[in-house]
Amino acid sequence: MSKVVLPPFWSLVDAHGDELLVHARRIAGEANGEDVLQDALLRALRAYPRLRHAEHLRAWLYRVTTTTALDHHRARRREILTDKPPEQVSEPEYYDASFDDLIGDLPETTQAALRLRFVEDLEYDRIASRLGCSTVAARQRVSTAIRTLRTQGIPA
Amino acid sequence: MTLPSHLLDAIASAAVREGLADAVYTRLRTPIGTLLVVQGEHGVVRVGFPEESEDVLLAQVAAGIGPRIVASDRELAVTRDALSAYFEDEGESLDLPFDLSLVRSDFRRAALKTLHDEVGPGAVVTYGALAARIGHPKAARAVGSACATNPVPIIVPCHRVLPGSGGVGSYGGGPARKRLLLAHEGATVRG
Repeated sequence: MSKVVLPPFWSLVDAHGDELLVHARRIAGEANGEDVLQDALLRALRAYPRLRHAEHLRAWLYRVTTTTALDHHRARRREILTDKPPEQVSEPEYYDASFDDLIGDLPETTQAALRLRFVEDLEYDRIASRLGCSTVAARQRVSTAIRTLRTQGIPA
Repeated sequence: MTLPSHLLDAIASAAVREGLADAVYTRLRTPIGTLLVVQGEHGVVRVGFPEESEDVLLAQVAAGIGPRIVASDRELAVTRDALSAYFEDEGESLDLPFDLSLVRSDFRRAALKTLHDEVGPGAVVTYGALAARIGHPKAARAVGSACATNPVPIIVPCHRVLPGSGGVGSYGGGPARKRLLLAHEGATVRG
């Protein structure tokens, strides 16, 4: 047994499940939200015993959900574009590459806003102060970017 | 607000199927109150009475056998049915696989194992007699501790262990529940 004392996994699902579903739907679209969340929570469960500390578990689940949503998106896009079978799903720890790939075509400032929101899991007021804009503008930048990504292939 | 139950069920079942769950738990309504039943790979590891804090109990299981704990009535259907049958029919014996991983000492494990294997429904035994059966005739008090900390009451029938001085003595779920269980099994209690 590791020395880290992790709470029973289901207590996290009870506490944060509904907001994670909202998050999954926001990125992956209404119809895909439940599939993405199921996949995300199974990935999280797989990685759970390897966590080195029990802090920021909510933020961690947000990141896993974001990564899973983006991987689903990439897998679907690959199905459309090529016959190549989808590669092994990546572990949550390696989410950055797929995320960068996906947002690579967006304007610099938009990429920054998305990274702050979904990789660093910051609230909009913190994003605003990091980007030097208003909270409203930060929120808008992120939601516009998600809409753009969706029109690039994520069925809403 | 929590997730829709069909989604929770799907996630929990997939977790069990893929071998990702250290334990599964369910809440079961019975004539002696709603029990929390937690089952690991090798059997039931914990049965909790309604008075016990669910958070504390599940944290105890997480620390003992692992934190990947999910809730599912469906995955524990066999266990639920066996417990329900025990409570519905007098004379129905309860034989569920159990796992004493949460028990801290070999002595306590031996006492509980012997109690489960040798004292059937309708029978009772005194703390002293149970101590003698495991080869420590003077350890009645230690057997009392083993019963008091029994993680799987009802399945390991610590309600069938009585003080030599008469009466039902104490019980993790309270003496009233002990009396109910003994009456349900048709056991006779002196005093």
